[in-house]
Amino acid sequence: MQATIEVNDLHKRFGSTVALDGMTFTVRPGRVTGFVGPNGAGKSTTMRVILGLDAAASGSALVGGRPYRTLRFPYRHVGALLDAAALQPSRSARHHLLWQAHSQGLGARRVDEVIDLVGLRQAARRKAGGYSLGMRQRLGVAAALLGDPPVLMLDEPFNGLDPEGIVWIRGLLRSLAAEGRAILVSSHLMSELQDVAGHIVVVGRGRVVADTSMADLIGQHATLEDAYLELTRDAVEFRGAS
Amino acid sequence: MRCELHAEWTKLRTSPATGWLLLAVVAVTVVLSTATAALVTCPSSGCGHDATRISLTGVQVSQALVAVLAALTISSEHTTGMIRTSITAMPRRVRILAAKAIVLTGPTLAAGAIGVVGAVVAAGRLLPGNGFTSAHGYGPLSLADGSTLRAVAGSVLYLVLIALLSLGIATAVRDAATAIGVVLSLLYLVPIIALLISDPQWQRLLRQISPTNAGLTIQVTTDVSSLPISPWAGMGVLAGWTAAALLGGNLMLRRRDA
Repeated sequence: MQATIEVNDLHKRFGSTVALDGMTFTVRPGRVTGFVGPNGAGKSTTMRVILGLDAAASGSALVGGRPYRTLRFPYRHVGALLDAAALQPSRSARHHLLWQAHSQGLGARRVDEVIDLVGLRQAARRKAGGYSLGMRQRLGVAAALLGDPPVLMLDEPFNGLDPEGIVWIRGLLRSLAAEGRAILVSSHLMSELQDVAGHIVVVGRGRVVADTSMADLIGQHATLEDAYLELTRDAVEFRGAS
Repeated sequence: MRCELHAEWTKLRTSPATGWLLLAVVAVTVVLSTATAALVTCPSSGCGHDATRISLTGVQVSQALVAVLAALTISSEHTTGMIRTSITAMPRRVRILAAKAIVLTGPTLAAGAIGVVGAVVAAGRLLPGNGFTSAHGYGPLSLADGSTLRAVAGSVLYLVLIALLSLGIATAVRDAATAIGVVLSLLYLVPIIALLISDPQWQRLLRQISPTNAGLTIQVTTDVSSLPISPWAGMGVLAGWTAAALLGGNLMLRRRDA
């Protein structure tokens, strides 16, 4: 299976609001692709369409060449962290991973492996509802890694992590990409992506405004943050007076 | 489908509410049935009571617990957002609902059977002391008796169908509080409305189509011919409600963005 995400000409509206307006890009293996854009630019909606959670009005989203909804054991193709809070708080973290493992034909041993991988062994039998946001992010990363997938898609994985956690996930993303996986990471933290991402897709108002290597993007601007602000200047919907 | 079933079973057994609610189903069925049997007396021959039905009274309350358990299996996923994780793990949504329905059936069947049989055994010990004796025309309650067996087995089946009805409705309306409100209204409000209507034609019709009134005719063992609907036809009406709710829930689950 090729390790790619191919998004082609996605369109979607929520009522009168245009969420996706011809969103098109490809995530390639062996590198981390940063996915940035202002609030409401369509990042999360795109990820939800890729996962088959939301239906697009038109266009296609393929993972390893196939629509997500046709995958028999999707975690073995794509690992996704979309919303770290999408769990039932009264269930223990280990059991939260266990039912997901069972849904993919995997067992408890793999659950314990990913728990160790994300450093949650001490807390695995505690209720996930009592977890801090940072611990939930680790739990979400553990779920994403359950099926040892060639493609990973993480929405704001740095959110809520403490500095040690940020260093950890940065290293994890780099090593996963070095293993040849295709990784899409959305973030608001430009400085974090600058350290990790080899490629950047900048979106605004539901479409791609830049799709380029990190080196090229930085070459034209002082920092990624400058590049980002320049590119998305016309796409920002909410801005304070300056 | 095997993996979906395994996943849904793991979810059900690792949810703390499951065990408590199942225990409560057993307890409420037995205790309320026994309490009713302790309070009803048959002072003379032909007092007109249905001893089997009295010993199964608790089902009328434990059905609410069954409905809550079933509704929570999906609506608590919608309320917490976990449904998105479920759909990500199991993109063929109809399989999620089917797996939930199947794994819910087993424990409901078990708790219902223990509760119902326990109720009949406990009530059967009390009733003779309250005048339900052979002198007054009542034999001992026995599962060897055809109509009692039908009432007992039917009550267990009734609870299972109520669980699946509640699951279907909760899948369609999503929010936990709304789902439980809708289900309990359907279970309890419709019979009350049927009581309040004075027109006998309309009352009869409502009793024929209400899931609780029609379904619970399965518990009746005396004067069966005077019922607005026969016991198994009544169970069929409830099954119809359940099938419609599951189909509607499935349609909504498949159509909507998660």
